[in-house]
Amino acid sequence: MNRDVYVIGVGAHPFGKHGVPVGDMADVAGMAALEDAGIKFPDVDRLYNGYIAAGGMMTGVTFAKEFGLTGLPVVHVENASATGSTAFQEAVLSVAGGNAEIAMALGFDDMNRMGGMMAAGFSRPSIDTVLLPAAFFAMWAVRRMHDNGTTVETFAKIAAKNWNHARSNPIAQRRSDHEVTPEEVLASTMISYPHTSMMACAAGGGAACALVASEEVVRRLGDSRPKVKVLASQQQSEQYTKGHVFMGAVIGPSEMTRTTAQAAYEEAGLGPDDLNFVHVHDAFPIEELMYYELLGICGDGEGDKLVAEGATSLGGRIPFSPDGGLTARGHPGGPTGLAQVWDATQQLRGESGDRQIPDARIGMCHMVGAGSVSVVHLLARSD
Amino acid sequence: MAQIPVEDGYMIIPTEKGKSVRLVGSYSPEADESFFPRRRRCPITGGPVEDVEFSSVGTLYSWTFLHVPRMGLVPFAQDGGYGVGQVDLPEGPRIQAVIEGDMGDWEIGMKMRTKAYKIAEDKEGNELCGFCFEPEVES
Repeated sequence: MNRDVYVIGVGAHPFGKHGVPVGDMADVAGMAALEDAGIKFPDVDRLYNGYIAAGGMMTGVTFAKEFGLTGLPVVHVENASATGSTAFQEAVLSVAGGNAEIAMALGFDDMNRMGGMMAAGFSRPSIDTVLLPAAFFAMWAVRRMHDNGTTVETFAKIAAKNWNHARSNPIAQRRSDHEVTPEEVLASTMISYPHTSMMACAAGGGAACALVASEEVVRRLGDSRPKVKVLASQQQSEQYTKGHVFMGAVIGPSEMTRTTAQAAYEEAGLGPDDLNFVHVHDAFPIEELMYYELLGICGDGEGDKLVAEGATSLGGRIPFSPDGGLTARGHPGGPTGLAQVWDATQQLRGESGDRQIPDARIGMCHMVGAGSVSVVHLLARSD
Repeated sequence: MAQIPVEDGYMIIPTEKGKSVRLVGSYSPEADESFFPRRRRCPITGGPVEDVEFSSVGTLYSWTFLHVPRMGLVPFAQDGGYGVGQVDLPEGPRIQAVIEGDMGDWEIGMKMRTKAYKIAEDKEGNELCGFCFEPEVES
């Protein structure tokens, strides 16, 4: 990056199937981020809106009018599940490149109102069969069980961990009133062998926002809280691999996560051992398990051992999905990647309450998006 | 009535008995790699590609069973769901498609044969088909 970029404010509207209009949720998240940063909307130079299903054309720019008619550039960003992460990257790059002093990334959506893509696929006969995303990750899981002897209990442990991480997250969609056990996860309805409903990400509505700014702005604001610096911002699309799937390729090669993370580590000049916590696209537990290895947290084939040791739970060596992840915090679409930034920023400032990771200094936010792309950001406390 | 592909350019459904459905893709002489479905150009070198008909029998790479009663326009009321698999063809491409059978019928590494399956019907009563795979019966 040409110059340093900092996260100066975050905000969110709780995720869930609460039916709150998307415009209301976007407004709550945006205003909360502005208040958190201690700035007003006219201070914002560029706005990137991230949404998939929230509405048709004009939605983002229409919502922006509620913040004020300041004439700023407003851009709609869409990259499937990685929409919010990509909006965040665009905001970061606009500041890094000197096109903005302050940029806003705002994600909002409601998966329960999703029409477009899925409706089209189900309404006309097509040779490109409409396979649900659940099938793709389930096939990763079946192959993993065959190659490594991974058990369904391991998948259940990962999901239960994330349910329990979400219990103290005020924006989480799934906030269990009791400690969730792997047995409970395994006993829930089978969706796509070997994944059950409690292993599948929670789809609902929500909104999340992050404001990023230059060092000069950070100095001017004089915020006494720890500063949060963006150390790396990387995105990749698919590269050809043997056995590459082109048709119905909702999810690309898992190696994409490895190469994107490597690029991020290189950009930041650090490695996986430097991380204190990690947010990943845990739409299903097989993903989180494979990302332990693809992100370099452990060697290939050693992920199951991390789960058995509890290393990726809060209190463990390297907590994954400390806010509950897609599994339990939820995955409304556009805001998901920004909810990761919301949580990571609070962790790095030491504001995460019951789920605070002691002395958290560096965190990763990882998402994949159908089509497909992979996005990795590294954030650090900068005293 | 006849079985015809629901869209052109992806598969050949033979009319002769005993012949299997074959998928059609692209071969890049420069990269010596094959792709499915057809590409406009080689995704590795950017060079030209030519059409290729693939073998009808491949190897099951992975599978799952979706407990969802329908896929697109096709209902699966009897079984309450359907299988999905990834099949590696000898020419290289990995194909993702519906697989026939039920839980317990599939094993990674088994041979799978390409098959046409009905997605819809046209006004003349022809079967508009996509493709799926079925476990290969050892002869």
